[in-house]
Amino acid sequence: MSLKNKLNRLKPYLSGAERAEKNSSLAPSNAIDVPFQERWEEEGIFPYFFDQNYCLVREVKYPLAQKHGHYRFEDFLTAVDIWNHTAINHPLSARGFQPEDLFFFDTETTGLGGGVGNTIFLLGYASVSGDQLIVRQHILPHPGAEVPLYQSFLEKVNYKTLVTYNGKSFDWPQVKTRHTLVREHVPKLPAFGHFDLFHAARRLWKHKLDRIKLAVVEKQVLGVERVDDIPGFLAPMIYFDFIESKKPEGILGILKHNEIDILSLVTLYAHLTFQLCGVDPGRTRMETYEVGKWFAAIGERAEAEKTFTKLTDSQDLTSFHAKQALALQAKKDRDWEKAKQLFLDVADSEEELLSLEACVELAKIYEHRLIDLQQAVFFCDKALRLSLQVRGKAKLSGETSGERLKKRHDRLTKKLAKLS
Amino acid sequence: MIWMSLKKSLPEILEDLKINDEFKENIVTWRTIPEKEAKTVALPEDLHPALIKALHAKGIEQLYTHQKSAYEKIMAGNNMVAVTPTASGKTLCYNLPVLQTILTNPSVRALYMFPTKALAQDQKSEINEMIQAAGVEVNSYTYDGDTPANIRGRVRKAGHVVITNPDMLHSAILPHHTKWVSLFENLKFVIIDELHTYRGVFGSHVANVIRRLKRICRYYGSQPVFICTSATIANPRELAEALTEEKMTLIDNNGAPSGRKHFVFYNPPIVNKPLNIRKSATLEVRKLAGELLKNKIQTIIFARSRVRVEIILTYLQELVKHQLGPKSIVGYRGGYLPTERRKIEKGLRSGEIYGVVSTNALELGVDIGQLQVCIMTGYPGTISSAWQQAGRAGRRHGEALVIMVASSSPLDQYIIQNPGYFFSKSPETARINPDNLIILIDHMKCAAYELPFKAGEEFGAVGTEELLEYLTEERVLYRNGDKWYWMNDSFPAHNISLRSASQENVVIVDQTDVASVKVIGEMDRFSAMTLLHDEAIYLHQGRQFQVEKLDWEEKKAFVREVDVDYFTDANLAVQLKVLEVDKLQTSKAVEMGFGDVSVRAMATIFKKIKFETHENIGSGPIHLPEEELHTNAAWISLQQSLTEMGQDRLEQGLIGVAHALNHIAPLFVMADPQDIHVIPQVKADHNEKPTIFFYDRYPGGIGLSEKIYGSMEHVFSETRKMIIGCECESGCPSCIGTEAINQTAKRDALKIIEACFPAFYVDKEVPSCH
Repeated sequence: MSLKNKLNRLKPYLSGAERAEKNSSLAPSNAIDVPFQERWEEEGIFPYFFDQNYCLVREVKYPLAQKHGHYRFEDFLTAVDIWNHTAINHPLSARGFQPEDLFFFDTETTGLGGGVGNTIFLLGYASVSGDQLIVRQHILPHPGAEVPLYQSFLEKVNYKTLVTYNGKSFDWPQVKTRHTLVREHVPKLPAFGHFDLFHAARRLWKHKLDRIKLAVVEKQVLGVERVDDIPGFLAPMIYFDFIESKKPEGILGILKHNEIDILSLVTLYAHLTFQLCGVDPGRTRMETYEVGKWFAAIGERAEAEKTFTKLTDSQDLTSFHAKQALALQAKKDRDWEKAKQLFLDVADSEEELLSLEACVELAKIYEHRLIDLQQAVFFCDKALRLSLQVRGKAKLSGETSGERLKKRHDRLTKKLAKLS
Repeated sequence: MIWMSLKKSLPEILEDLKINDEFKENIVTWRTIPEKEAKTVALPEDLHPALIKALHAKGIEQLYTHQKSAYEKIMAGNNMVAVTPTASGKTLCYNLPVLQTILTNPSVRALYMFPTKALAQDQKSEINEMIQAAGVEVNSYTYDGDTPANIRGRVRKAGHVVITNPDMLHSAILPHHTKWVSLFENLKFVIIDELHTYRGVFGSHVANVIRRLKRICRYYGSQPVFICTSATIANPRELAEALTEEKMTLIDNNGAPSGRKHFVFYNPPIVNKPLNIRKSATLEVRKLAGELLKNKIQTIIFARSRVRVEIILTYLQELVKHQLGPKSIVGYRGGYLPTERRKIEKGLRSGEIYGVVSTNALELGVDIGQLQVCIMTGYPGTISSAWQQAGRAGRRHGEALVIMVASSSPLDQYIIQNPGYFFSKSPETARINPDNLIILIDHMKCAAYELPFKAGEEFGAVGTEELLEYLTEERVLYRNGDKWYWMNDSFPAHNISLRSASQENVVIVDQTDVASVKVIGEMDRFSAMTLLHDEAIYLHQGRQFQVEKLDWEEKKAFVREVDVDYFTDANLAVQLKVLEVDKLQTSKAVEMGFGDVSVRAMATIFKKIKFETHENIGSGPIHLPEEELHTNAAWISLQQSLTEMGQDRLEQGLIGVAHALNHIAPLFVMADPQDIHVIPQVKADHNEKPTIFFYDRYPGGIGLSEKIYGSMEHVFSETRKMIIGCECESGCPSCIGTEAINQTAKRDALKIIEACFPAFYVDKEVPSCH
């Protein structure tokens, strides 16, 4: 019995990838013949020949005064300058770098997730050179042309630090994976520093964005408008079509999409810098609070305090959050008087959970530090009441749980009884 | 006050079994397997001093003969398979040469593969003990789903010995081979422990995983030596060679000592003479196990199905809850979550747990310490399995007792009446079919994902290039020049499970507590049709759950805990059609064929069966869609229709023969009984003749029915003997089943067999009926 018959019978069991149409056109390509070469060149895309094979390279130059979203590319130069002239330490700091040292990097792949078989078919990046921003994109014209792809890419790359969006866990490991397969034929991958702006965006805007996809950040934060954009998830399908038909049209759309992604990284880096360094007058109070929290998390206490303090002159929720954060810092510094004052402010807040936490802290400070058991009992009482109100709305754990509060309360009243 | 409850020791229990009427009547065979002296030889002369020190620290001055042979073969660069019974020190067979090689060349890497995570954990402790005692710098790590992300990088780069399982190799290591360059470039040894578990569908998958492994090794320039260890089966070398596609040396000079073992065949008493119905094995096991557990004798009870495990567990926990507390007896089976299983393994080792009721999940070498008694509820299906289970008792100390309680099934009755058959050499052959098209194609996708295929490359024994072309047409691969590239956005390994026939499992969701609904297990789709249908009683750790809804689309079964005194048992209706005949031979009496068939199965009704009495107390319909299966089948058709018998008797007779065959056939192909099915047709669609079909219960077939095709006469002859040997008058569950209700069914069944093979009739040695 023929294998084909068997296969067709068993088709329902064969997992995955069922596509109806069949018009396989598998002319083995002559290595030096570049299909649609003229059309490519019309778009400023030229073949790069290497080792009897080729890849395609596109290069676009922008003046630095060009606007992308709310910023011009030259604002990125300002950003690098700010880092070089501030005392602030931060993971995104470009101190010690020239603008030319950073390269903004993004890839397009044939699938999702890591794994050897997920092919990178587009390596794109932008960097500043003189008074221009140069975008370069290296395109894999067909599977098997990875040697010229990585050769051409690695020839051009002489930068210090990558700037990506989620590149730490996706793009760069995938580049390493695919590079391993051709490592005997192309130069080594250089070691890079890496600014992953995805994590920064998540820190700053998770309070207002449901999803932290770059496209969302662009639209909601950076003011980037995309026209006729091809959604990223279609890229694999378009690429599969392209390697069958060789027609450039679909890929041109992906190139545009990838280019906007990369340009947005430039804008995003500038915007984040202005946020972090407090030079953006449009920074919202909530953003200021998140910036303060970030500084606190990385141990930049002075900077955190400065940032939080900017928020305390108001009576809104953010102000209470900031005071809470400041109070916790004061507590760490064992400045009990200052901590008490701040917690007292927060304890008056309307926000029950926040107030509850402050009351617990006050109960502790009064009991152990300021030795005022009356006050300690008072705030423990208040905390207990609040925990009853909050229960059901939020999950209470640790010191704010009703059980622990009751224990604290019992202990305090016993102590108090002993004294009197 | 009289001290009634003085605990009895094992020797006292043995005495009791011999004289106590309640038991001794039912003991059909009592074999005492004498202790065996150790056969040892000096440690290898070239052994690294640190390893000698480590062995001495463990009190090992000499090696068993098989350990030394293994060492020599492996050091000489031979692939080998060692056949070793339980507790014979098989791990030294590979740990010694591996460590020796790493100590002389620290860049060497070894990959250990165990069928389960539990075994991998065990072996990690064992090899690490050895490394510590030797005081050497060798890194050994397990790499499985439980390995924390932050140490994975270390394992990949610095692990000399990486211990994993085939599923992990399949879905996490091979598809990410670029992260494992230092392993694959230096891979010197691949250890495949518990080789005998790699049979059937699972083995066929694993053989393909090994093909992929070898392909990646070639790419990185390594050529590892394959070291396999196996429990006793008939064809260890053949299996090892089929699995690895390498030439193998067999090592079977076992030199390990063993303690005295009493092997008792126990046949429950007949409670209904005319129908030859015996008391249920489950109830007898309850009695025997209860007696042992009351005396605090650590006992393991094996049962063949998950349901059986749970039923016995319920019985026993009830029985001894006052003496021992319910926590001292636990269940152990595949459907439990890993944390639950780890806890049980620990409890057994520490002695907090006296009794464990298990499916064959505990057959493997998981170290659970010393158990004194092993009870099997029914014959486990294969001789090899039975010995593995028996090996659970008395691994390390003197006397042990193994009781096999027969059920009324024809296979059990056949075994219990032919002790010679069981105790003589194993006739079982483990089969795999790595070239099953479904399995092969799936793994070719994975292989292409891992590395492009080159023209001329071979992967499996059936036209690799033709399959690559097929995948290209399906737009999964893309051909460019002389290479085929993966061109699809999926991750193929994620859609392919090595373990289960159907590719999607049904998740079991406990919604007893509305506030915290949780997943308590999973089950393959085909089993779910009969075990998780609406209203089914599903048992989990001795707790009863009723299925409130089986969402077939979403593959979820929602269950709620209940307390009822019955369990459920479902019927599956099967239709079969021959699609293509691959092999055919005819004689005057019969036509025998082998080929492709379509099987349609539908769960029809279920019965509610009362626990204690096993009476039927109700039934209901099952509304599930029909499942279709394309597979291989062997069949045998009568040339003449035995017209003198009449349509009705012919049908009944065929049902009877099929029933008997269904139980005997798995014996000859070392298959789990559910992997091969037998169904009769009075008038088969394709040739209009009375026919009996044997089909593989996996899409595309895994070689079981093909084996039966080649030994049809033998299978029929053994089946005939079994029916003749049965004491019943006109058919019983132990021979032709109870579905055939005619008084003449038994005689007719024999007539049909003899019509198929007239030669049997001539040398007829016993009168067929009483």
